Amino acid sequence: MNPSLRHLFRKGTPGPAEIDAFIGSTEFPLVDGSDVTFVYRGIADAVYLRCWISGLDTAQPFQKLDGSDLWAATIELPPGSRIEYKFEVVTGDSRQLVVDPLNDVLAHDPFGANSVCQGSGYVRPHWTESNSDARPGALDTLSIESAAFKGARDVNVYIPARFRRNRRYPLLIAHDGHDYLQFAALQTVLDNLIHALEIPPLIVALTQSPDRLREYAGDDRHASFLATELLPAMSDKFPLIPDAHARGLLGASFGGVASLHAAWKYPGIFGRLLLQSGSYAFSDIGRHQRGAVFDPVVRFMNAFREEPGCPTDRIYMSCGIYESLIYENRSLVPRLQAQGIDVRFEEARDAHNWENWRDRLRNGLSWLYPGPVWMVYE
Amino acid sequence: MTHAEATRLLLGPQRPAINLGLAVEMANLPPGPIAVISAGWQEAENDVDQVGEAAGRSLECLSLYHRTDEVLGASDGLAEDYRERQDRLMELQRLYRLRLRPLARAARQMFGVGGDQDLLAAEQRHAVSQLRALDRHHLHRTESIHRQFEERYNTSTTALLREHSDQIREILQRCGGVIITGGNVAVLLNRMRMFGVHRMLGETPVIAWSAGAMVLAERIVLFHDRLPQGRREAEILGAGLGIVQGYVILPDTARRLREKDRLRIGLMSRRFAPDTCVALDNESLLRLDGSRVVHADKVRGLHHDGRFTRLRTP
Repeated sequence: MNPSLRHLFRKGTPGPAEIDAFIGSTEFPLVDGSDVTFVYRGIADAVYLRCWISGLDTAQPFQKLDGSDLWAATIELPPGSRIEYKFEVVTGDSRQLVVDPLNDVLAHDPFGANSVCQGSGYVRPHWTESNSDARPGALDTLSIESAAFKGARDVNVYIPARFRRNRRYPLLIAHDGHDYLQFAALQTVLDNLIHALEIPPLIVALTQSPDRLREYAGDDRHASFLATELLPAMSDKFPLIPDAHARGLLGASFGGVASLHAAWKYPGIFGRLLLQSGSYAFSDIGRHQRGAVFDPVVRFMNAFREEPGCPTDRIYMSCGIYESLIYENRSLVPRLQAQGIDVRFEEARDAHNWENWRDRLRNGLSWLYPGPVWMVYE
Repeated sequence: MTHAEATRLLLGPQRPAINLGLAVEMANLPPGPIAVISAGWQEAENDVDQVGEAAGRSLECLSLYHRTDEVLGASDGLAEDYRERQDRLMELQRLYRLRLRPLARAARQMFGVGGDQDLLAAEQRHAVSQLRALDRHHLHRTESIHRQFEERYNTSTTALLREHSDQIREILQRCGGVIITGGNVAVLLNRMRMFGVHRMLGETPVIAWSAGAMVLAERIVLFHDRLPQGRREAEILGAGLGIVQGYVILPDTARRLREKDRLRIGLMSRRFAPDTCVALDNESLLRLDGSRVVHADKVRGLHHDGRFTRLRTP
């Protein structure tokens, strides 16, 4: 039992007032070295911890603590880890997924919010937080009539502070751009890294697909949209450096697949790829086990693995070690390196979520787009 | 006063504390405007209001960044040769870095291992001398590229350069001193060299901070131990303007250097000897008359044993 709970129960079952006082004065979950104890208070038939960590059971049962309305579950979490979780509370026939009522730290994603457990040693990077010294960039909107998609597509564009028409800028095209802004603090990160001179001022096209599971799954229309419609439109509207090494694609999960696919279909156009937890499902023999939505991904990845060519010059890849995709990501790295691509791969004690992707942006962006910090002495 | 004894005041970064005003006072400049060189700020070169406020004087900006753009925009041949020069310098820096990395690693190992001190001492000396030889070679190579360009394009051969140089000289003549700000050190150096500004300074008192102080030295050393991708070996960028002799200027070391890494600091000191590596942090002020230290406040020197010690006013 966690030492704080043991202390609470040292004289037998504590009364409601004692439990209230304990809860009021304690931070949850309880982190004790590499042991993390989750606590739930309430009437229920059963409580489970749902934390989607590859390698652990999806649902970890809580134990009810002697005669009280407290429930606890302990897992081992290595230092520096960060995981997202929910509680599943079972009462009669009802099963409810809820965020941890005792933990205010939440992470948001397009599906809602999860509670966040920060293992010992995890610190949110300072460059992901708003800094009043950093001049903010601006957001603009560009509307493109897409022949590939047979319809209009709106793209948000991040324009760095102190933008000047007589300068030329590198370009990054982000998949799930709105989600990167909303859930991975991309605008703040860009402002901060540009301010710290760790990346140059760059222009970022933030795309958002209305049907990402289809369009990002190795879809030729999407690749054509990026290379033959969005890129020329961006070049017309903004002063861009006309060189592949100054053009990159960013994507997480299916967005990682879409980035790799577009670079593969149009080699030499995008010289930089920032790929986060890419869903690179493949099969060596027989059918894959990931469901029908992955069928086109597997078709593309199998073709890619057969003939990767040289789609780009430099790739930064990251993946959480608590996600099942770590296997696919690890296995892709030597395949890319064998093509002469300069690949940097980072593993994190995190899972398939936006804050993991947020926390890796500095390493990825500053490696793919090195800023002038080496040359600037203010 | 002879040129060799001209006053140079070297400062660290002007954030968070500003000591530019103190330096202006100490330089005892004649009344009137001060010229400012802020080409290291690139497009923001003319945003010098805060500099003027801190200096307590009116400023005349030499606008070297914008002048260079004008010159390059007016001559296709010059612009092309300038770009080619920059490409060659960049490529040379890359090649130098490739050779530097293993030599620096080996030198660190020589100072990190234990064993027979008699045997080791000779190996350590040789490891440092190899680094120094590479630095010398790189300095020579970069300088010859610069010289080649400057022999072709100078105030005698290029009318537009002459016109701008004349205007710059006129401004300098009516100013009692020169302030050189920080910023991008390579840009600052290139733009000063383009118009030969260093040859016009003569006895004019110069107050310079960070990149501005670096370009005045004989060698410009780039360094940063806290890059997002980890530390890099300190590199010679090339020759500076040679106005300050006997010192390698290292601004903002408190932030940029891992000061507790004595092995690394000691090696840096040995590598750039006989020059003294001088750390200029916020609030540092070093006054030189020629090569003579006249005043040193919060200025530290790097030593062969990896320590920092305060430079003292004699």
